[in-house]
Amino acid sequence: MVSQHGILYAVHLITNQFGNLVAKVCECLLRNGALTLQAIVRRTELSPAKVRNCLLVLIQHNCVQAFILEESVSGEDAGEPGKALTLYIALFVNILHRVRFSKFMDVVSKELGGSCGELFRGLLEHGRLTVKQIVDRAGANAKESTNTVQEDLGKLVMAHYVECCPAPEPLVPPPDADTKKRAKSSKVMVEPLTLEQRVMAVAMPSVMRRFSFVPNADQVADDQQNVNQPPSKDVGEKRKLHDLESDTALEEEVECNWRANFEELLRRLRHKACVDTIKVRFDDAAATVLSAMLEASRAEEDKVKTANSVPLSLNTIYEEVVKNEKNHSMTFDHVRTCLEELSCPPTFVKTDDESYSIDFTKITEAAQSEEIESIVLKRFGETAYKIFRLLFRAGCLMETDKIADRIFVEKKETSKTLFKMWQDGYLLMEKLVVGGTATGPSYGGSSYLLWKVNKRLLRETVLDEMFHAALNLNLRLAHEIDQNKEVLNLPPDKREGPDKQKFDRLRNVRLLIHSSLMKLDEAIMLFHDF
Amino acid sequence: MSRFKLSSILKRKRPDSTSTSQGLTDQEQIVYKVIHEKENMGMWLRDIKRRSNLQDAIVNKSIISLQAKNMIKEVVNVKNKGKKHYMAVEFEPSTELTGGAFYDDGILNVEFINIMKKICLQKIKQLKVATLESVLQQIKTSGAIKADLKEHHFEEILGALVLDNEVMEVKSNGMGEFGAIPEGKVCYKAFGKQRVGAAAEPGIGAMASMPCGVCPRIRSCTPDGVVSPSTCVYFQKWLEF
Ligand code: SF4
Repeated sequence: MVSQHGILYAVHLITNQFGNLVAKVCECLLRNGALTLQAIVRRTELSPAKVRNCLLVLIQHNCVQAFILEESVSGEDAGEPGKALTLYIALFVNILHRVRFSKFMDVVSKELGGSCGELFRGLLEHGRLTVKQIVDRAGANAKESTNTVQEDLGKLVMAHYVECCPAPEPLVPPPDADTKKRAKSSKVMVEPLTLEQRVMAVAMPSVMRRFSFVPNADQVADDQQNVNQPPSKDVGEKRKLHDLESDTALEEEVECNWRANFEELLRRLRHKACVDTIKVRFDDAAATVLSAMLEASRAEEDKVKTANSVPLSLNTIYEEVVKNEKNHSMTFDHVRTCLEELSCPPTFVKTDDESYSIDFTKITEAAQSEEIESIVLKRFGETAYKIFRLLFRAGCLMETDKIADRIFVEKKETSKTLFKMWQDGYLLMEKLVVGGTATGPSYGGSSYLLWKVNKRLLRETVLDEMFHAALNLNLRLAHEIDQNKEVLNLPPDKREGPDKQKFDRLRNVRLLIHSSLMKLDEAIMLFHDF
Repeated sequence: MSRFKLSSILKRKRPDSTSTSQGLTDQEQIVYKVIHEKENMGMWLRDIKRRSNLQDAIVNKSIISLQAKNMIKEVVNVKNKGKKHYMAVEFEPSTELTGGAFYDDGILNVEFINIMKKICLQKIKQLKVATLESVLQQIKTSGAIKADLKEHHFEEILGALVLDNEVMEVKSNGMGEFGAIPEGKVCYKAFGKQRVGAAAEPGIGAMASMPCGVCPRIRSCTPDGVVSPSTCVYFQKWLEF
């Protein structure tokens, strides 16, 4: 469930980019979960046509997915059996991704070069495009440049940075009975999939189809001759033709829309965050070894939140390290020492039988607790910082006196700080009465206050505050721009004296807020996506 | 002695009786007994009143009298300085009451603790990878600390250094730099190059470097409320150029 400030922040982003109407529809979906068109119309009091248009915009930009629930088609309780109801669900995480476009662009351009980056920018700006639209956008009419564009698209698909779009209205089966059974019998807690995850699981094409792009200049040329016909008809025509030959061929040839694959991009950003964490905790050499491990196991990763990388041998890791010219000076022994260091508790790298695998969960948790610690230090002070580190590590309830003893701080100050942190939701408190009667400690018993950090709840609290902070930064920026409208509208040669000062200040304000937003988004990813 | 027994003594004897072998009144005897029972832990005045089942005024009078006869003394409990504690004179206050080696007259000796931390940190840096025993050994040979401290005192100091984020606590895996240390043994290491000088100050996180991230009023801040981003004084200050 998305937190309150998460929704407000997402709605703000949509308002900024697509206006109030689209944002209203989006907010309605974020607050109420999946809804039919009629339900949205009822709740937003907008006309069906307006709602439909807003939904189309949101779908085009991958912020909403349509689907049909199988229950609504065949359920015996359904009033009209056989009548399929299309539902719409907001994809919260894809809305957040909209502020990460520059980071995504950076990843792609660095790895695949400027022309791929340019093509990728088009996909981010337009949400989803057909090959023909991509070629048109690149202004590539000549067959030669058409080939280049298709080659670039091929590279992007091959690197999994671009994927074939999900099915427009997939049929979503009820939660798998098997999964339920497994969850019951298994000792390990299996979290049931959310509706959003279930929808996307059936909507996404098979891996084969998702990442298979065969450059075909002739096809684009043919398409260009048929510009006046709607694309769906094109597809239909092609289907009929191929129907006669083979069904499989039909599946492969249906023209699909292409879009950025946020999952892969997020994985790359997660890798970068892991390397940065290791660099700070250890040194450049350890970070180099981790980078090499990430690169060598990249192809095997299939989820964003993969807990562990596949095991790699020392030889494989070393080979990957020295692939980079910069690392030629690193010896085999040096790599081994780095791995030994990384495998000391808290065990960022697990060893087993001469093979090594990265524990992503541990690295992410370390980075998260560092972020929280720095908030605690700045917001509540040094005593709180020590208390927090103590309770976070202990993971259990601890009494006030014991805490004061362990951190070497007077009990009075310890108590005061504990209460402050508890009031702001950073600690849990429990009262323990020992030896008293039912009427309380005043009848012979003593009462103790016990404190604890609940890691899961705390992460949720901090994430919600991060969304709140991001929203506030955006609102303040809008306020600053609004306050300085006149100065902004002045031509450069008219900006003098106090006006120039105001203008320069605004420029600095913008820079500071933008860079803070970028940094904050990295922290949001750390808590929400990694 | 249970409350029942104490009250039954009272019932058997007249409350204002004055004749006892030690020259104590019955009430004073009861109060003394209650306090004495607690040995070197001492007893809080309120608990004395409750346990003896006597009227407050009588307990107060008895305590003054017992102090005058040099049979009990008032002691400070570091955990509850505001609460008056009494103890029979023959006992020395327990470390629980005094706070132990790190307290001076019931007050936390911060200066001493800081010196201890500094010395231990220095030794860990010298040793690169240290165990409690190796730090102790180093300190003993150098004669840096004269005070009579036990192993557990040093363990507490090292624990505090970890909480201060001055050193990290790791478990030996018996390889590389831990070669000489048995596997699984707790070790202490100073931070790598990047952290030297930056210790005790974690990297400034994203939230900590902007006003809302550390704002005490974030819970009452709303876009159009009394506290809002457009009227916020913290922002005003942060955006002063
Ligand atoms: S805008 Fe100001 S008052 Fe509101 S949370 Fe941020 S710093 Fe606090």
